Amino acid sequence: MKLFNKNTIKKIPSYGILSLWVLFTAVLIGWIMIASLSTTREIFTNTLLKSGVHFSNYTKALINHNVGQYFLNSLLYTFSAGFSILIISAPCAYVLARFEFKGNKLIQNLFVGSLGVPIIMIILPLFALASQLRMTNSRILLIILYICITTPFTVFFLLSFFKTLSTSFEEAAAIDGCSPIRTFWTIMFPLAQPGLITVGIFNFIALWNEYFIALVFANTSEQRPLAVGLMTMIQSMRYTGDWAGMFAAVVIVFVPTFLLYIFLSEKIIAGVTGGAIKG
Amino acid sequence: MKKSIGFLLSILMILAVFSTPLSAAGQQDSNPDAKELVYWSMWNETEPQAMVLKDAIKEFEKSNPDVKVTIQWNGREIRKTLQPALDAGTEIDIWDEDLERIVKTWQPYALKLDDYYGQSYPSTNGKSFEDTVMKSLQAHLKTLSTDKGLYAVPYQPYVVSVFYNKDHFDKAGITSTPTNWDEFLAVCSKLKAAGFTPVTIDDAYMDLPLGMHLNRKFGNPDAVEALVKDRSGKLWDDPKVLETAKEFEALAKGGYMSEQVATNKWPAGQQEVATDQVSIYFLNGTWLPNEVMGTTGPDFKWGQFAYPAVPNGAGAGAGTFGAQGFQINKDCAAPDAAFALAAHLTSGKWDQELSANTFGAPMDTSMEWPVQIKESAAIFASLKSFVPWSGGLAADPDAFPIVKAEFTRLLAGQVTAEEFIANIKSNL
Amino acid sequence: MKQSKSMMVLFLTPALVTFATVFIYPIIRTVFMSFYYVKTVTDSFGKWEFVGFGNYGKLMASSMFIQSLKNLGNIWLWGGIGVFLIAILFSMILTSGVKGKSFYRAAIYLPNVVSAIAMATMWIQYAFNSKYGLFFQFFSFLGMDNAAAFQWTSPDNQFYAMLIAYSFGMVGYYVLIFMAGIEKIPSDYYEAAKLEGANMFHQFRHITIPLMTDVFRTSIVMWSISTVAFFIWSQVFSPLDPDVGTIVPMVYMYNLVFGRNLTLTDPTLLNAGAGAAVGVLMTLLVLLTFSMVNLVFRDKKLEF
Repeated sequence: MKLFNKNTIKKIPSYGILSLWVLFTAVLIGWIMIASLSTTREIFTNTLLKSGVHFSNYTKALINHNVGQYFLNSLLYTFSAGFSILIISAPCAYVLARFEFKGNKLIQNLFVGSLGVPIIMIILPLFALASQLRMTNSRILLIILYICITTPFTVFFLLSFFKTLSTSFEEAAAIDGCSPIRTFWTIMFPLAQPGLITVGIFNFIALWNEYFIALVFANTSEQRPLAVGLMTMIQSMRYTGDWAGMFAAVVIVFVPTFLLYIFLSEKIIAGVTGGAIKG
Repeated sequence: MKKSIGFLLSILMILAVFSTPLSAAGQQDSNPDAKELVYWSMWNETEPQAMVLKDAIKEFEKSNPDVKVTIQWNGREIRKTLQPALDAGTEIDIWDEDLERIVKTWQPYALKLDDYYGQSYPSTNGKSFEDTVMKSLQAHLKTLSTDKGLYAVPYQPYVVSVFYNKDHFDKAGITSTPTNWDEFLAVCSKLKAAGFTPVTIDDAYMDLPLGMHLNRKFGNPDAVEALVKDRSGKLWDDPKVLETAKEFEALAKGGYMSEQVATNKWPAGQQEVATDQVSIYFLNGTWLPNEVMGTTGPDFKWGQFAYPAVPNGAGAGAGTFGAQGFQINKDCAAPDAAFALAAHLTSGKWDQELSANTFGAPMDTSMEWPVQIKESAAIFASLKSFVPWSGGLAADPDAFPIVKAEFTRLLAGQVTAEEFIANIKSNL
Repeated sequence: MKQSKSMMVLFLTPALVTFATVFIYPIIRTVFMSFYYVKTVTDSFGKWEFVGFGNYGKLMASSMFIQSLKNLGNIWLWGGIGVFLIAILFSMILTSGVKGKSFYRAAIYLPNVVSAIAMATMWIQYAFNSKYGLFFQFFSFLGMDNAAAFQWTSPDNQFYAMLIAYSFGMVGYYVLIFMAGIEKIPSDYYEAAKLEGANMFHQFRHITIPLMTDVFRTSIVMWSISTVAFFIWSQVFSPLDPDVGTIVPMVYMYNLVFGRNLTLTDPTLLNAGAGAAVGVLMTLLVLLTFSMVNLVFRDKKLEF
């Protein structure tokens, strides 16, 4: 579609708007980076970097604040939940897409409907349940919750993906005497890889930035993922008046995600659009 | 297929690695007499308080080899996580938070400590523990509980007062701190004449001056609570409310408030004072110098005075004070050890250490207060009655934010005294 | 194809079990709970006290809850309009053959991958600061002192400040979605239109918009769902206790159930039952939006 492509002059305003927007983002993030290398007094007197570069803010944040632990936690939660979701959702989506049976439509509708259920509708009973089972102090609980909450969307997404796959594969496998279960895991599941990756990335971002469930269920500093850990760090730096350190904490959390994003942005963007357009 | 199995295996491995320390934690003790105390802390691990407490606990473990203390640094989130954790049966023997909150909220979970207060401990120098704790705080503790019992061990006492920059006062030729509202306005006027911006405050403390002022006017917190809980708006027509609003209006009209006061997001306002731009911080707790130490350095000349007496109201004898406090679980398996730990942390050497490292007030009345808050010691000693935080305005969570927002506008000179009252009445 | 019962059971059960645990059981319990006075969320059923619609009545009588609904509505409406308009503009520019398309797209989407806590902190502690903030310095530089002195975080403006900061981050997501939608429209539609002399605006009005209906519908639903879950930004903009300008239902509910920050917390104010009622109301709100969206877009569904 070449709507505006008459000549380049006409596009100058377009570039202008885009560049302004991007520049704004860059300044916002750039200032935080510079502030994180200054002292607290310099931040509040608007004289950033006057006394030189202070890397000590970073060592303080890194060594004293368990940022490494928060990172490991986030990785653990996102990866283990992310993969388990696929293992649980794909077979279900496959059955719903391929087999006709009573209740198929009902299950599909239930799953779709659950996409509209706000988290505050379900959080209280889950909290009570977890307390009764004395599970509030375990990482497993958070992973299980993430799996359960993300499954309906994933099933819904993969369902339409399996529908696009031809049935000829299964027919050929059946002729060879391959059981349906085996057929699924050895043929259909690998065939669905593009869909699995797309929805996997979508889930990954959602879980990586998840805050509310972790806030409610991760009670100790050893269990906190990055988002909640960052909030804790920020609060603590504020009480000690260490604002330079607080900005350093923000940057420490920001940079790895940013680097990862630079390398994977195409994949991530494809995942997000795929997820949203289908969903 | 192989890939997914590989993934699964790696997940299981990660899970195994992470879950081992959790499940193994309970089984390590080989000594059958060993007592384990689990302490949930309101501090974040890097805060000066936490560092002192950590050292103090290490020393305690050394002198009590049969006690092992496990610390969990929760930060202020403990307000939300403690009770659910207790309900869930998590083993927590000792915890701390604001004194008023722990007694009012968690008394049902706490051990009554009256008997322990009567005994002496290594850190109390042969005196009973009771004799080392400020009497005013003990009395206060008893009034907070439902049965006049002692349900907490206080530490880090604080008092709320007006903070000011002594250098500015000297330069403006102000020789004595104001004791009543007229003197306060006169001080502001002198500061302004000397080229200083007199007064500022942040959103986080905005409710304090109004609450304190209304308390002085009405003479008791119950009247303020009734005011803020009144949905009919009738109580707001009390001439005392209008007087109060007028007095604040004068402050705004005189040009005594910082221009930033409406937009100050904590700590922007206290930084205005710390960076020499404003002379007076309207009301804050004794922790203020510590919070801005990174900006001021230790040599900043802090002064404090009690909130002034107000026209047609009570004098300056009432004030807001409090402390942090430790509380012990009523189901604690080793209550003696737990109280000994609390005593160890809140009296003698570690009380002093905590005060010195946080520029905060010590528990022991015979101790000097840090130079930054020296004048708060006299204010604390002179207090005759207790004013709750924000003077009772926070008693109604619905009305409180509305009143606070309108008061911000009043202080910033955006509304008149009459509009202030009318707006509150129409928004309630 | 041959149907295998055992396979169906085996394949469906795990997903259905997870679904029942986190959706069916909790939804039923939340609905029940909303009719009871429940002091703490962990109280067993025996301690619940039936109050009928009492909790709902209390919520409706609470000026702060009403305020939180107003704020939510304003975020949904004005934030939605702003985000969608900017996202449409950007997605049209980006699909018009500009150079560096993938760079711009990635840069605009960036705020979405960063933790919202970090983004919100940048905004409130830097962009909106009235002494050294980005807007302050920008307008001072231009000599626009009035604009520079604008009090972003005062009680009057706080809501809009929060809304702008939040919407800024959300734009990137919808740019991606709209771009994908536009790129799916066959280009010969536009060529045919051009031959018939339709100008750019007409093309947009008569081709892009109608063909994007499905995408818009999905986007509105997505926007509604994410608005109901509005939480982090409110927490960062009022870290101690919610202000009139920043309160949203989820924060209201969180404070009602888990306690407020204020030192003077009256434990009798805790009410998990009313918290459940907030959840029920929010769910009804989402359902209402769904059906409204379906009603508005009912006859306009176009397949291509």
